Amino acid sequence: MTATTPTTNGAGRQLMWRRRVQRHGWTVGVWVLLVVLVAWYATLIPRFGSFQASTILTGGSAWILLGIAQAVVVVAGGLDLGVGGMLVLSSVTAAQFMDGQPIEVAILIGIAILIGAAVLNGLVGWIITVSKIPDIVVTLGSLYIYQGLALMMLPKVGGGTPGAFRWIFTGSEHGVGANPWPALVVIIIPVIIVAWWMGRTKSGLSLYAVGSDATAAFLSGVRDARTKIISFAVAGAVAALAGFSSVSISGVGNPTTDGGVLTLNSVAAIVLGGIALTGGVGSVIAVVPAALILFFFNPILSALGVDPNRAQVIQGILIVFVMMVAGLLEWRRIRRS
Amino acid sequence: MNDAPATTPKVSTDSEPTKPSLAGRLAARPQIALIGVLVVLIIVTGIAEPNYLSVAGLRNSLIWAIPIGILAAGQTILMLTGGIDLSIAMIATASAYVTANQSANGTALAIMIGLLVGIIAGSLNGVGVGVFRVNPLIMTLAMSGILLGLFSGWATTIFAGSTQMNDFMRSLGGGSFFGGRVPWAALVWTVIAIGVIVLLRKTGFGRNLYALGDNAVASRLSGIRAWQVLIAAYAISGILGSVAGLLVGGRVGAVDLQLVGFLLLPSVAAAVIGGTSIFGGIGTYTGTILGALILGVLQSLLTFLGAGQAVQQLLYGSIIIGLSWMYTRLASTQ
Repeated sequence: MTATTPTTNGAGRQLMWRRRVQRHGWTVGVWVLLVVLVAWYATLIPRFGSFQASTILTGGSAWILLGIAQAVVVVAGGLDLGVGGMLVLSSVTAAQFMDGQPIEVAILIGIAILIGAAVLNGLVGWIITVSKIPDIVVTLGSLYIYQGLALMMLPKVGGGTPGAFRWIFTGSEHGVGANPWPALVVIIIPVIIVAWWMGRTKSGLSLYAVGSDATAAFLSGVRDARTKIISFAVAGAVAALAGFSSVSISGVGNPTTDGGVLTLNSVAAIVLGGIALTGGVGSVIAVVPAALILFFFNPILSALGVDPNRAQVIQGILIVFVMMVAGLLEWRRIRRS
Repeated sequence: MNDAPATTPKVSTDSEPTKPSLAGRLAARPQIALIGVLVVLIIVTGIAEPNYLSVAGLRNSLIWAIPIGILAAGQTILMLTGGIDLSIAMIATASAYVTANQSANGTALAIMIGLLVGIIAGSLNGVGVGVFRVNPLIMTLAMSGILLGLFSGWATTIFAGSTQMNDFMRSLGGGSFFGGRVPWAALVWTVIAIGVIVLLRKTGFGRNLYALGDNAVASRLSGIRAWQVLIAAYAISGILGSVAGLLVGGRVGAVDLQLVGFLLLPSVAAAVIGGTSIFGGIGTYTGTILGALILGVLQSLLTFLGAGQAVQQLLYGSIIIGLSWMYTRLASTQ
């Protein structure tokens, strides 16, 4: 648990440091890896300027937000295969209703979609707690349902969002520009809010309690069913936000996007970010560099002149390799304790 | 709740003094409930389209169910160990691709090379999960990406030739015998089904699968070498993927790299509907077969209703949730 209370009972600074390294070592490592990759990328291309920064942050923001959505659920001991479907559903709903509207109306519609997404995914969480069916099964169902709803909402590629709305997520009214700041804000604000909620508030910390041991959490007075429903509702809203980012980049809604692939990306991002799939461990902060690294592979490999097909092979092998290292470290930690 | 050998027989069913209720009796054999669902679904489909209740109509559903059932056999075996194979559809596609490409070199050789793809990819999954303890979701997901990348590149280089299946594979995948009544592929599925059921019920390897999924620590302490069992299980799943891929490729006639992808989630769904626990240790292949048949009939029903893709996906998702809810309710009333 990356909870907050520092131990200051004078048990020795060295021990405290070692625990800190154990706790945050993975997070720091992922950030270092990202910095190294960015620096390497900067030497590979002729000019690394605000345009490149904007492209990476804009393209990566949907990956990051979807990773955060998945992280909230996984920390609480669940798994949501439906987040990718929710991204598709929210992006086509936005494209359907925001088309040709002034920005004020578009933002109101956006807020309505976020609330709707939270309610809908909260309902999925409620079904899981009432029915006691494993998360992966119910959310496999919700993935299909969201994709079906997306096709109903917008039968084929189309719709659109106002230019000002696209600017909020991409820094340009046309989806591509040289202004990285709006995308950075879109990433940072949700991350800070979710990280603060999970680390500092009672309802956020109960995610960790339920995720590490639902029975113990229940016996110590945490309402596990409510916590699960809240985690799914938050994930739904954040995934919907990722949908806005994706529709702002492409400019149109595409109901045939494969939400399953997007979900699997989000799972890879949280695992690389050091969040245990068994629940109760990890921080959303580390999901940011992890998702960016995964998104970043493609520009780097194409800058190296690697054929995109081979790039996909390398990406797969790297993910497995990272997981092997993580597994080895975890195994050593268990052996030592 | 399952008739697996690894679980101790329930004494309560014999010694219960009162007559068990209907729900109680269904709970003892949840597969009867699944058969009920299947029959109701067939009747509903018959009402929607009277021509369905004929050999040709039912054969159509069966042709849908066969590849799902074979892929779901792999998922069942792996889910019993607490794993899953998200690369099975890509393994199937890759095998079909290689077989189509090599069909000029003789049918037998082409099939052998196709199956080899499944064995190699499956074993690598097994090494990743069993030896290096990579999470199965991640390992098989990465394998799927690796295969897609490799074959996208190879499609224009070393496998640049034919993408057409030869006549033997076409008749095996799409042809029928008994005057066009029974698809040849059904025969393949029957052989595989018997093999998998015997493997799970009667062999030590099958018991190891249940033991490993039920309690990994206890099975290690009782002398099971988990990594060996896992490599074998993932390799078997790979071979089953290859067989399904060859049958789908034969039915379609020509192969591309999107050949089997759409069957990945149905293969997981069939195992889940059939009562296999995604956490391991619980499940049977007979349940999975019923799950695959239900999905096959459902496909026919949705086609007859003229439902668009949107409604199809909505219903598909609802049915996965609904049937597994029914299953957990039945299991908890026991």
